[in-house]
Amino acid sequence: MFYELILKNSKRSRKENGLFFSSLIISIVAFYIILSISNQDVMIFLKKMESDAVDKLFMLVPVFYVMTLGILFFLIYFACKYQLERRRHEFGIYLMLGMKRSRLFTLLLAEDLAGSIFALLIGLPVAVLLSEIISLVTAKTVGMGIIGHRFSVSLSGVIFTVAGFLLIKLPAFLILSAKISRQEIGALLADSTQNSNKSLSVAVYILAASAGLILLAAAYILAIGGLAWKNDKMMFFTMLSGLTGTILLFYGMRIFIEMLIKTGKSNKKLRIFNFRQIQENVVRQSASMAISSILILAALCCFGAGIGIAGKNTAVRTNNLDYTFCVSGNVLLDKKSDANEKLKYMDKILEENNLDEYFSALLPLRTGHIRTTDEFENVFIMDSVMTALEKMPQSTDRDVLLNNLSYADYPYLISLSDYNGLLEAAGKPAITLHADEAAVFRSTEAADSVRNEILNEILLTHPRTQLDGSTLYLTGEVQTGEIVTDMAITFDFALILPDEQFMYYTQGEYDIYLNAVLNEDLRNSKALMNVYMDINSKLDALNLKEMSLEYESYLQNMGRQLFYSVAASFITSYLAVIFLVVANTVMGVQFLMNQRKTGRRYKTLVHLGAEYETLCRSARKQINWFIGLPVAVAAAGSIFGVKALFSGILTMSAKANQGEMLIISAAMILFLIVVEYIYMTVIKRSSDKYLLTLMEPQREE
Amino acid sequence: MEPILYIENLRKIYGTASNRTKALNGISFQVMPGEFLGIMGSSGSGKSTLLNCIATVIQPSEGSIVIEGERLNSLSGKALAKYRGEKIGYLFQNFELLDNLTGKENILLPTSLHKVTEKQSLARLNQLAEYLEIEDVLDKFPNQMSGGQQQRVAAARALILHPGIVLADEPTGALDSKNAKNIMEKLSGLNRDEQATILMVTHDSNAASYCKRIMFIQDGVIFHELLRGDESQDDFYKRILKVMAQLGGGSSNVL
Repeated sequence: MFYELILKNSKRSRKENGLFFSSLIISIVAFYIILSISNQDVMIFLKKMESDAVDKLFMLVPVFYVMTLGILFFLIYFACKYQLERRRHEFGIYLMLGMKRSRLFTLLLAEDLAGSIFALLIGLPVAVLLSEIISLVTAKTVGMGIIGHRFSVSLSGVIFTVAGFLLIKLPAFLILSAKISRQEIGALLADSTQNSNKSLSVAVYILAASAGLILLAAAYILAIGGLAWKNDKMMFFTMLSGLTGTILLFYGMRIFIEMLIKTGKSNKKLRIFNFRQIQENVVRQSASMAISSILILAALCCFGAGIGIAGKNTAVRTNNLDYTFCVSGNVLLDKKSDANEKLKYMDKILEENNLDEYFSALLPLRTGHIRTTDEFENVFIMDSVMTALEKMPQSTDRDVLLNNLSYADYPYLISLSDYNGLLEAAGKPAITLHADEAAVFRSTEAADSVRNEILNEILLTHPRTQLDGSTLYLTGEVQTGEIVTDMAITFDFALILPDEQFMYYTQGEYDIYLNAVLNEDLRNSKALMNVYMDINSKLDALNLKEMSLEYESYLQNMGRQLFYSVAASFITSYLAVIFLVVANTVMGVQFLMNQRKTGRRYKTLVHLGAEYETLCRSARKQINWFIGLPVAVAAAGSIFGVKALFSGILTMSAKANQGEMLIISAAMILFLIVVEYIYMTVIKRSSDKYLLTLMEPQREE
Repeated sequence: MEPILYIENLRKIYGTASNRTKALNGISFQVMPGEFLGIMGSSGSGKSTLLNCIATVIQPSEGSIVIEGERLNSLSGKALAKYRGEKIGYLFQNFELLDNLTGKENILLPTSLHKVTEKQSLARLNQLAEYLEIEDVLDKFPNQMSGGQQQRVAAARALILHPGIVLADEPTGALDSKNAKNIMEKLSGLNRDEQATILMVTHDSNAASYCKRIMFIQDGVIFHELLRGDESQDDFYKRILKVMAQLGGGSSNVL
């Protein structure tokens, strides 16, 4: 009998309180998704290439796990509280019938366990499925293709999901059920509308609201001004100020609603009643409304930051080089041999293995040291540049540049025709140089755009320098285009010389890199990543090491970018979703809990001649306000929040333009509207359902 | 004069075929405008079911209820809600004031459900507040009022829309004797001065003695009826007690 009661009760709970049950399932899904991140196709793929970074991310998983644990505890606690609160009367009856308190406690515990098992039975498959879908979708969007996908279940993920779920569920439940089973029977049986209308003087609320606004403003000013990002202490202070500001604002908000009640026309349908209800909610729940608002703000900021970071790292590809080959050392070839023979050698290997058909162009790049002298220092002198630089207004960038250039007295040389070849392939105009002219090349990895701008100003003056005693004029702008696919060579400062001068200064001793461009068909294929992987595996099979041939592909480059964008967007959207779900569920549960507590009021309204539709409309209006207030505060905050993020985390990226920020904000708000709409609809439905039960008369004696 | 309320052969049967409870088993009576009618009966006699049927909170199984010439059975949805709000005023045993609304807001609640102009309703509010002596508590919340004040506020709410008939369900049930006396005096005063028609269900013989006519219900049928006529309240009270003794402790109790 006891077991039957347990099963029946737990089944009824699921049916009656879908919101509670779905929050359980969401928790399970959240746990599994974060724990199974290492099973994602993209991550498996990236682990091969960026294993260090990926390992670092994986090391963060426990941190996110614990964090999720904390946030979801908050959710489960409220959902559980609502669930038990609505059954108070029933518990009272059990006790009246002579059930021992310990027995009631066991009953509740067993019911809860049955519910948890059921939630796990549904939640885990959903989680695994969702994780697989995410895996496939990300693989597809980043161009990896999905052919190689293997269905996988992370066993440790499942185990830790179950453990984590029980770890938060049981304590939350124990606290609540202990509270319930310790109460007086009379208190359980009575409808609990303990109404503590302890109100303080109006001034207190006005003070609280204004202090809240001031603190919030202070927090945003600190964050946008950049002061908050200076050190941990400032950050902590900013966060604290924002947090207390929000809590105080919601605490004082009742006064605004009171004002709304007092002003305005009173004759509209149930207007005063609605506002009194909203006011009561705000009074009773100001703290959790504030926390919900902060969670929503956090979600919006996560979402914004995710888009920002992902956008930054999936920057448009600057070069169109897909492969770079080079011969390592001079082991195989005779020392005297011409560099051109290395080129022929590489061509031959590619041809022999039918690899050349993949490429539409093979572009050599010659680069070498100055060999006309035995000196390794002060071979290149550019005093005119340095003095011009010293005369410029002082700035950190200028000083860094001064320092960097002071080492550029023995620069690498690059051949002009090869460089122009690369420019042509990239669809850029070629540069021309006279015999006594050189262009400056700096790799993007080594130089930043602000410093290059400074240097460009000086180059405009056509400065005169000396290369191994001969006069050389620097001309044009600083060249920053890619000269190899990824990072085979990077130059902090190199000189591009006309071929004749290049040959002279290098004395014919130079290195040669062979850049390759994929042919159009492959280029445009959707699974570009797979193309790279195919070619790479072919190359790896050739045992190139023995042939002293090395290569790099754009895949490495892509992988790095991919990692950052995937990691950033994955984690931020994960957090954003968790925050949003928790905030909304807590708000929804609180509203419904309060509605149930004040159910008699609706009954009275029915007696006074309110139609069902009127009641529903009234409750819907209350829901709009109750959820709308924290959302509105968060949305307003997010405008500043995104700005703060840009001035903090994203300073490195090129100055974020207004348009980009606008798009991000618009996307965020759209996302928020969709989520809130869904939640409000769900809450309104359950409110309607509850109100319908009030329309039927019950015998009260 | 046309009766304001006309009830004929009203039946309400709860439960299924095998387990039927006849809460009302064919009740017929009329209420004339300006009447103050009491309905008495023991627990489970069907008096609350009767009141709830009139209030349209539950639907009778058989029979008809006609208020001001309109048959309730034919009403539905909107019309029913309109009827509930405008034709009847309901007074609860537990007052059922909304505890998050002030006295004034509670009283004006029906006007916000049924479009009434503010000017009209404020005039009526002041008139009722003065008569019921609740002017001081209009801006207070229910938990800042005494039980008696709460019931008087509830009475004002029931009367704000000039209902055809006031249905009072044990209005003195939750009050001490002093407050009970006060609210009964006010109700009978409204009946006398404003010709308010009142239908009151009660256990309390004392409260019932304010009525002009009393119907006793037992097992779903009208069992006895008393008319006050010209006699004093005290004499009427004694007659009520006699009937009650028959009803509760008399021969019928000895099965």
